[in-house]
Amino acid sequence: MLDVLHSLLFSTLDAAPALIFAALGAVLSERAGVIAVGMEGMMRVGAFCAAVAALTMPTPLAVVMGMLAGAALAGVHGFLSIRWRSDQVVSGIALNLVALAGGTFLLESLYGPNGTPPIQQLTRWHIPGLGSVPVLGALSGHSAPTYLALLLPFAFQGLLTRTPLGLRLRAVGDKPQAVATLGLSVPGLRWGAVLGSGLLAGLGGAVLSTAVLDRFEQHTPAGLGFMALAAMVFGRWTPVGAFLAAAFFAFGNALRIGLVSSAPGLVELIPQGVLLALPYLLTLVVLTLQGQRSSAPAALGTPYEQESR
Amino acid sequence: MLRLHVLALTALLCACSKQKEEAPPSGAQPPAAGKTEKKALPVGLVIDVGGRGDHSFNDAALRGLELWAAGKRYEGGKYVDATPDEVRQSLPPHLSSDAASLKALAIQPIVLQSKAQEDYVPNLQLLVDQGARLTVGNGYMLANAVRTSAQENPKAQFLLIDSQVLDAQGKAMKLPNVRTVLFKEQEGSFLVGALAGLVTKTNKVGFVGGIEVPLIQRFEVGYRAGVKTTNAQASQALMSVYTGSFNNMAAGKQVAQDLIAKGADVLFHAAGADGIGVIQAVKEARAAGKSVYAIGVDSDQSHVAPDAILTSMMKYSDLAVYQAAKDLVDGTFSAGEQVLGLKENGVGMAEVRVDFPGKAEALQKVEALRQRIISGTIQVPAVPADLATFQAAAP
Repeated sequence: MLDVLHSLLFSTLDAAPALIFAALGAVLSERAGVIAVGMEGMMRVGAFCAAVAALTMPTPLAVVMGMLAGAALAGVHGFLSIRWRSDQVVSGIALNLVALAGGTFLLESLYGPNGTPPIQQLTRWHIPGLGSVPVLGALSGHSAPTYLALLLPFAFQGLLTRTPLGLRLRAVGDKPQAVATLGLSVPGLRWGAVLGSGLLAGLGGAVLSTAVLDRFEQHTPAGLGFMALAAMVFGRWTPVGAFLAAAFFAFGNALRIGLVSSAPGLVELIPQGVLLALPYLLTLVVLTLQGQRSSAPAALGTPYEQESR
Repeated sequence: MLRLHVLALTALLCACSKQKEEAPPSGAQPPAAGKTEKKALPVGLVIDVGGRGDHSFNDAALRGLELWAAGKRYEGGKYVDATPDEVRQSLPPHLSSDAASLKALAIQPIVLQSKAQEDYVPNLQLLVDQGARLTVGNGYMLANAVRTSAQENPKAQFLLIDSQVLDAQGKAMKLPNVRTVLFKEQEGSFLVGALAGLVTKTNKVGFVGGIEVPLIQRFEVGYRAGVKTTNAQASQALMSVYTGSFNNMAAGKQVAQDLIAKGADVLFHAAGADGIGVIQAVKEARAAGKSVYAIGVDSDQSHVAPDAILTSMMKYSDLAVYQAAKDLVDGTFSAGEQVLGLKENGVGMAEVRVDFPGKAEALQKVEALRQRIISGTIQVPAVPADLATFQAAAP
């Protein structure tokens, strides 16, 4: 029994970080009022650049390169949606398409279709003494992003709710005009949030190619960017909420796998397809129960124009 | 707009290949003796959403069309002539003896990747419009698209791999311009299952499937039957999990980690790109000191992780594609249904390149089983319902 819990926890902790980072990135961008449909594309770019960079430099540095690449793509999104006030959903979808096709094109022209050559994976940290403790031992043996993914949501929540900067970020997503009357720069704050969300999405992507796998696989991230958006909505646009939702998705998947492999009889009663859909079904249920009390930022998706009232 | 883009890209691609065609091919052999056709026949191929570079099913079809039939290698977004050595190295053992018979043909490959299921019909139509004399639909996911295109273009010829032509109700039907090729995956899977049963030390083996469709179930059922034949205990404890996708390596890895944590030491995957994640999990478990093997699928996946791959269940769809292209060039292409098993060399087991105690003996037993399947004394079940009653005498 303890074994089962152990492997459940381990599997969740191993699979969740990429989703958590992307979900946090989505929260950051959307709390500042800029829709984050482009997470999938930013993750893909981050994953690709991190894998390519890791061929020539130490992997941790390559992860930073992946983050910067994600931020660069977010910069395009910012330019379109903040500077030119274009439709944020269209801009995000366009970025996803560009990243999807561009990633494949670059991969094939640089390395052939079989993916980048293998790279040095991020080292796994084995916490002395913890490895042999039942259940809790599952906390040991992960790479650095896993531990960061456990801490960052709380730090981010603190920033958002307890600091002046957090207040401004929230305000710029709810009522940008109010921020402007205080003499603060609405575009400046939004730019910061969008670039930050690009860094986080890039990190999520980089985790996929440097910690989960040891190369860029051409389907990466296979829809994870959209799941991050679902986690953000499920978590009601709060960092800790999004973190819990992302962890819940990863846990739900681990639970399904664990159930199927440990209790094969279950599969005869419930088809695997139903189990596969279960986490998303639960998301729908929660969203339905939430009903009218939507917690989306009030000015989400509305480009800021100084002259508008 | 996207469609326009694809069109432009294809046109560009064709232009490039045409230019090359005019120069005398250096590495490739001239097409069949006698009067040679100057103009290369365009042959189209639409691969499913798994894409190029899956180390597996799509790569096999690409190998058959590009490397074997056209004598070309796809590199950096364009075709270069492949050297005879490259062709020879890509051949499975049972063909390498008569490598000479596998001549490069005067065809010009046009390959379209599909990014989404909605791309299948337009992609097929695009190839027909480009003048492809034969259009290959690779994968069961293209079954409906091939039916639609074949009905709309009665003069064009099609090859559909891995599925029969299905009508709107999902019933098998025949079309006068479609050749379909099905494989008895259960027979190849039976062999790797038998080997897994002999190799496992924990008496626990696992199966990782992609999407649970009849095609993938054939892999599982054959595998289960193979394990049952050589190791009854492992057959009882066999763990089988589906990832629900063919393009999500993270999901494949998560499943494999779970199975390894529960003691499985041989994992067979039939999960497309998810399988890359399965192999990754096995690689990491081996690095952590566990003795675990993965069994690859469709193509010989040994090169992905040479130490970790026990063998691969081979599906020679490359040969089926080559054969169709050859028939086209020879003018003998005909519609109809082909079903290829062990006997027809349609499926098989890749060379076992890793060493383990009792290897020679195990391989001997597997070979004996292979002979018995070919001779028909063992009938490998293909659907889960037949598995319970399947009883093969011990090897």
